[in-house]
Amino acid sequence: MLYINNQPIPLADAMLKYLIIPLAKNAVSFCHYDRPACDTQLIDFDTLKKAIVWAMKENLNIQFLYPDEPIPESYKDLIDSVDHISIISSTCEDKQLTENADVIVFDTWASINYYPFNKEKSYIIRTAKEDFADNARLLDTILPKLDRLVVLLTNPHEFSPEDFDRYERTLDTLIPAVVTEYKVGHYIHFNLLTDRIFLNEMNNCNAGHESITLAPDGQFYACPAFYLDGSKSLGNIDDGIAIKNPQLYRLDHAPICSICDAYQCRRCVWLNQKTTLEINTPSHEQCVIAHIERNASKKLLETIQKHVGPITQIEIKPVDYSDPLDSLINM
Amino acid sequence: MIKDISRSWKSGESKTITFIVTKDCQLACKYCYLVGKNESERMTWDVAKKAIDYILSHEHKFEEEAVIFDFIGGEPFLEIDLIDRICDYLKTEMFRLNHHWFNSYRFSFSTNGINYHTEKIQRFIKKNRNHVSIGITIDGTKKKHDLNRIWKGVGQEIGSYDDVVRNIPLWLSQFPNASTKVTISSADIPYIFESVIHLYKLGIKEIHINCVFENVWKPNDDLLFETQLIQLADYIIDNDLYIDNSCSFFDENIGKKMSKSDNKNWCGSGKMIAIDATGNFYPCTRFAQYSLRDKSARIIGNADTGINDNLLRPFIALNRAVQSPRECVECEVASGCAWCQGENYDAADTPTIYQRATAICKMHKARVRANNYYWNKLFRKLELENKREEYNALHKQSTDTPC
Repeated sequence: MLYINNQPIPLADAMLKYLIIPLAKNAVSFCHYDRPACDTQLIDFDTLKKAIVWAMKENLNIQFLYPDEPIPESYKDLIDSVDHISIISSTCEDKQLTENADVIVFDTWASINYYPFNKEKSYIIRTAKEDFADNARLLDTILPKLDRLVVLLTNPHEFSPEDFDRYERTLDTLIPAVVTEYKVGHYIHFNLLTDRIFLNEMNNCNAGHESITLAPDGQFYACPAFYLDGSKSLGNIDDGIAIKNPQLYRLDHAPICSICDAYQCRRCVWLNQKTTLEINTPSHEQCVIAHIERNASKKLLETIQKHVGPITQIEIKPVDYSDPLDSLINM
Repeated sequence: MIKDISRSWKSGESKTITFIVTKDCQLACKYCYLVGKNESERMTWDVAKKAIDYILSHEHKFEEEAVIFDFIGGEPFLEIDLIDRICDYLKTEMFRLNHHWFNSYRFSFSTNGINYHTEKIQRFIKKNRNHVSIGITIDGTKKKHDLNRIWKGVGQEIGSYDDVVRNIPLWLSQFPNASTKVTISSADIPYIFESVIHLYKLGIKEIHINCVFENVWKPNDDLLFETQLIQLADYIIDNDLYIDNSCSFFDENIGKKMSKSDNKNWCGSGKMIAIDATGNFYPCTRFAQYSLRDKSARIIGNADTGINDNLLRPFIALNRAVQSPRECVECEVASGCAWCQGENYDAADTPTIYQRATAICKMHKARVRANNYYWNKLFRKLELENKREEYNALHKQSTDTPC
């Protein structure tokens, strides 16, 4: 049961759709946060069982995050008892799991262009800003081999003004490769450039609002990052979810984001908390990065429309700011 | 014809920069929100200079037309030597740098008034005559004042009224238009009427008075409060005191439904900056650790590394609707209902500034009822005296929307 201001709220009203379960403390990261290298604490079997039953009763989609080390067969059998999404690192030791995974995560660019991509899977590349600029051209050869690619920056909060310029230039260099794919009818999804061209409203992470994480310690957190950084939990599997100030996870209570049209932005509430001390307030860096992607998407859309024809009714209008806070101040 | 509450100097156009020069005070007022007062945290000259150097060398971050350098404590005048040195340095540096604040600055003090007559403070006032504003806090009658404003120390409670009131004539002779700030907590309610009248009789014509924002209110406090304000309204109007005096409890603009377009934050935290003895910067003094009961200090930078703009963003983006519960957004008498961002933060269920504390709700509603009574009675009197049109001409904007 979800509680808002001490009142029980049926989950259907609370908009919760996804349950994320990291099976171990060092389970793969599929987002901005880093996982610990050594701490292999596995989730308790009974806790996992309770979580699965709870998710089934509440109609939640489950996403399992796997560690690189093999997990017991009993865990695999339990996981297979429910429909789910498997997210696994490219360095996972269990090749059978990797083969059956829905999402594969890369933490390095090394040898990535030799990887046997499969168009039925989604791929995530986690990369530092410096490595992205240095390796982005590898995507020219990768994009034809897959249908869905997500590139995630691991240190967006460290962007400098020079980094913004470099990021903009890097994205510009990737536009021709995407256009080439669209020209041959391969409508690839590449989050940094194509997500925005198909969106007419915010489509963000929504941790704490649409998704919740049950960590190996049996406690609920908005996302795995809050578990790993030692944040206070949002309840536990035995007593239920208890989110105080749940409205702050929602878009309508985020004054900067709610006037923004960088709809593809992850709107990472963990980065918000880390950089501004408020769940609902993004950093300057997160906003500018999202606008560089938005504006690059605009260029891509215009290029595709010119060379391929109309593919969407979405229009991306020019804006005269890179940080919507500037727009908010002038309202 | 009716004395309005005056706006503060360069209100809305000035940056307020607060130096928390000491966390010590001679008094231990019972309602004081400063829960962490102590004798050890005194600002050094090195810290003050470093903060000034940062602020004056980053003019682009401080574009407001004017500046108010505010000094608080504890009791700021305990550190008059440091304050004097800070003010001298500010003046010479603003001149040397040809800073846009030179000749558009003010030194502001809120003091308990105990040391006001001393030679050092008097010398400082003379030296900075045209750039100083000083508010002395006196809560009203001796009984009311001594109820809360007592000397620090153990043993029998000793009130500070006599030590303050002796300095009022000197203060008013130097600042004839000076105002005082009165704070109302639960125990003070029975003394509101007599205290305001007492302050008028002392010659203080402008009284800024407000209920504390903390959750201290007991059952029926609102009704008692309303009764006191009605009594005060009757006395002010029946004795024509409204002509030369003002009391912030009575304001023609409060107690109305607010339009959705009027969505500004009430509180100015984040637009100001406070500096403590360690050189840390805060969005206002209420976010320093000595002001907070349950939360960690909200530091937004320091004198060495400057302001972290990301930590200011939540304050800049904050508006009325996003932090208010639905009952406040839809409230029929919302205008004038104030909040303190620091108290909101301290009282919130999570470490956020986006949850409005509503402990003051019933006191605001009681104030609105008494305020409506005040204006209805006053306007009727003006009509009977054929002065209403004259009032309307002078107060056009505020009379457009009737009480």
